[in-house]
Amino acid sequence: MSGDGAPTPPGPAPGPAPGTAPGTADEPVGEGAVPAAAAVDPAVTEHLDEPTRAVLADPGWRRLHPVTPVLRAWKVIAVALAFLVGNNLDELARIDVPAWVLLGSLLGALLVLALVGAVFSWLSWRKMRYRLDAEAVHLESGILWRQQRRAQLDRLQAVDVVRPLLGRLFGLAELRLEVAGGAGSKVSLAYLREEEAQRVRNALLAAAAGVRLEAAGGEVRADEAPQREVAEVTPGRVIASTLLSGATIAGLLVLAGVGVAAVWTRSPAPLLGAAPALLGLLSASWQRFSRSFGFTVADSPDGLRLRHGLLEQRSQTVPPGRVQAVRISQPLLWRPKDWWRVDVNVAGYGQGGDAGEQSTVLLPVGTREELARVVAVVVPGLGTPEESPFDVVSRGLVSTGDDGGFVPAPRRARWLDPVAWRRHGFRATEHAFLARSGRVLRQLDVVPHARTQSLGAAQGPLQRRLGLASVVLHSTPGKVAPRVDHLDSATAARLLAEQAVRARAARAAAGPERWMTRPADQPPAEQPSAERPLADQPPAGEPPAGHPGEGPAGVSADRS
Amino acid sequence: MSVPGLEPFAPEGVQWRRVSPRLATVQRIALLAWLLPIALVALVLAALLTWWVATAAVLALALAAWGWWVVGRQVPAWGYAERDDDLLVTHGVLFKSIVVVPYGRLQFVDVQAGPLDRRFGIARVQLHTASPSTDAAVPGLPPEEAARLRDRLAARGEARLAGL
Repeated sequence: MSGDGAPTPPGPAPGPAPGTAPGTADEPVGEGAVPAAAAVDPAVTEHLDEPTRAVLADPGWRRLHPVTPVLRAWKVIAVALAFLVGNNLDELARIDVPAWVLLGSLLGALLVLALVGAVFSWLSWRKMRYRLDAEAVHLESGILWRQQRRAQLDRLQAVDVVRPLLGRLFGLAELRLEVAGGAGSKVSLAYLREEEAQRVRNALLAAAAGVRLEAAGGEVRADEAPQREVAEVTPGRVIASTLLSGATIAGLLVLAGVGVAAVWTRSPAPLLGAAPALLGLLSASWQRFSRSFGFTVADSPDGLRLRHGLLEQRSQTVPPGRVQAVRISQPLLWRPKDWWRVDVNVAGYGQGGDAGEQSTVLLPVGTREELARVVAVVVPGLGTPEESPFDVVSRGLVSTGDDGGFVPAPRRARWLDPVAWRRHGFRATEHAFLARSGRVLRQLDVVPHARTQSLGAAQGPLQRRLGLASVVLHSTPGKVAPRVDHLDSATAARLLAEQAVRARAARAAAGPERWMTRPADQPPAEQPSAERPLADQPPAGEPPAGHPGEGPAGVSADRS
Repeated sequence: MSVPGLEPFAPEGVQWRRVSPRLATVQRIALLAWLLPIALVALVLAALLTWWVATAAVLALALAAWGWWVVGRQVPAWGYAERDDDLLVTHGVLFKSIVVVPYGRLQFVDVQAGPLDRRFGIARVQLHTASPSTDAAVPGLPPEEAARLRDRLAARGEARLAGL
C-alpha cells in the first residue's frame, strides 16, 4: 500500500519536519524516495493518537534535532577541559608566564576545539537520518564512512528515552533501541525533541507489538499504552539505602583507618593518600543515588516501564517476555529494613559499559511486597495454585533447607560451603526456575523456563568425592548468572534432564515475538494485564489495580 | 528424552561420540613447542653460566611430561551427543563438565582450524547461543564430521528457532 492509504493525519507533525526536506536531495545514498511497501499498514495505526500515527504514517527520512551538534560539541569541550585540567594542571602551574597569557591561550585552545567539534558535529548531524516503518528502524550515519543500520522491530528488546541534564535544558531526549545483536548493536537517535522521542517510542512499540489483529480488543489505545504503577521508591528511602550500602561502610572504614594512621604518624599523608579511594567511593555512591532517584516501575501492555534519574532522566520500556533473568539480592545492612534490590538481564543491556550497567536495575531498593509485585510482572505465572507470587518469592528469599518447596543441597555440602550450604537450593515452578543462595548476602535468581539459553553441570574433584555437582543456567550477558551449587549429583542429573524438557516445553508455548499478535486461544501468560494474579497477594500493601495515581501503601508507610 | 540417570555426566541412553585422538597429538605438539625451547635455552645458559639454571630446564621438562600425561587423559574425555532436541557436550576428567544446548537456542556455529589442526586433519566446532557463558565447543573433529555437525546444527536450529 502507499502512504495515501493510511488515515492521513492532519496537523503539525506529519510532513517532513522543518529542516528535513532540503537535505535529502543531496544525500549520497540517493534513493530518498522510500519504497511504498515499507509504509505502515493502516490497521496498525488505527488505535493510535494523531501524533503517533503521524510518525508511523510518514515513512520518509527524518533528521535529528538541529540542536544536536551543539550538544555534541559541548561534550567534546567538556571532555577536553576535563583532560586538560585533570592531567596537566601541575605542568600548567609550573609554566613561567603571566596568568592572563596562560588563561588566554587556554581559552583560545578551547575555542578552537569547540569550533572543530561544532563543525564536525554539524557535519555528522547533516549526514544522519532515520526512518521507521512497520518492520524496522533505519539509521544512516557517518561522514566519510557511511553506515546504514536496520534494526528489526520484532527483535526489539528494549526502548529507552534518555534525557541528559543538558538535553533537558533544551527539551531534548535521546532514544535508544536495544536489539540484542551483541555489543554496539544499539540504535541511538540523539537528539530528538522530547515529544518526538515519546511519539517515536510509542510508534515503535506499537509496530513492534504488531498491533494489527484488533489487538487492543476495540479499546482505543491512548498515545501511550495505559500504565499501572507497580512500585515507587521515595527519595527518603533512596537516601537511606545509599547510606546503608556497602560503599558507605567501606568509605567509613577507610576514613577511620587513615584517621588513626594520621593521628599516629602526626602527618596528613595517609589522609591524602586515601583521598582518591574515598572520592571513588563517594562518586559511586552518588551515582547510585542519582540513578535510583525517583525510581518508578509501571506495567503496561507495551511492557515494563521504568523511570528514574535525578540529573539524567531515563525512562525505559522493556516489552513483555524480554526479561531473561531476575536477581534479587540484599546488602547486609538492608536486612533490618527488609529491603531488597532487583537486577535483571535483558539482552542488549549490560554490554555498553556503564551505560548498560544502570539499565539493568529493575528496582534499586524495595520491600518484599514491592519486589514481589515487580518480579511477578516480569516473570508471568510465578505463582502456583496454592501460592501467590509473593509467597513464592518471599520463601525463596529467606528459606533454608527444604522449606518453601526448594530442593536443597545435601548436608554433606557443608564441607564445601560451611556458611551458606543450607541456602543452596532450587525450585522449579510451572513457569520459572528459582535458584537460592547466600546466607550473609541473600540472593534469589529467577529465570522463566522459556528464557533458559542452555544448561550446564560441573563437578570438581572434591565435589565428586562428596557426590555433589553444581548446575548452571546460562542466560544472556548481565548481572544475573543463575547457578545452584553443591547439589546431590543424582539430583543434579535429574535437574539437568528435567530442566531441558521444561525449557523446551515453555519455549514451544511462549508467545510470539510481536506480543500483541497472540492468537486468542492462547492463555495470556505473558500478557501484562489487570488480570495478572496480583490480586491474590496477601498484604494490605496491594493497591487496587487501575489506580496508578496512588502509590503502593508500603511505600508511604516506609517513609522514614 | 532419556530417563534421568543418576550421574549428571553420563545421562542414560546417551551414546557419546568421542573426538579424534589426533587432538592429543596436536595439543602435545603445541605444548612442546613452547616448553622445549625454554628447556633448551635454560640448558645452554646452565652450560655457559652456572649449573643451577638447569633447574629451570628440569621444571620445564617436568611440566611437559605432566602436560603430556594430562592431554592423554583429557582428550578421550571429550564427547558429544546429538539428541532429538539438544546437543550435549562433555569434557574434563578431574573437573568434569557437561553442557546441554537446545538446537532452538543456537545463534551461530563456528568451525575453526589452525595450521597445526589442518596439518593433522582436525577442526573445532564452537556453538554460540545468546549467552556468553554457554561454553560449548567440540575440538578435534575430522573436517568432514565438523562440517556435517555444523550443517546439521544449523538445519536443526533453523527448524526450532525461537526468539531469545
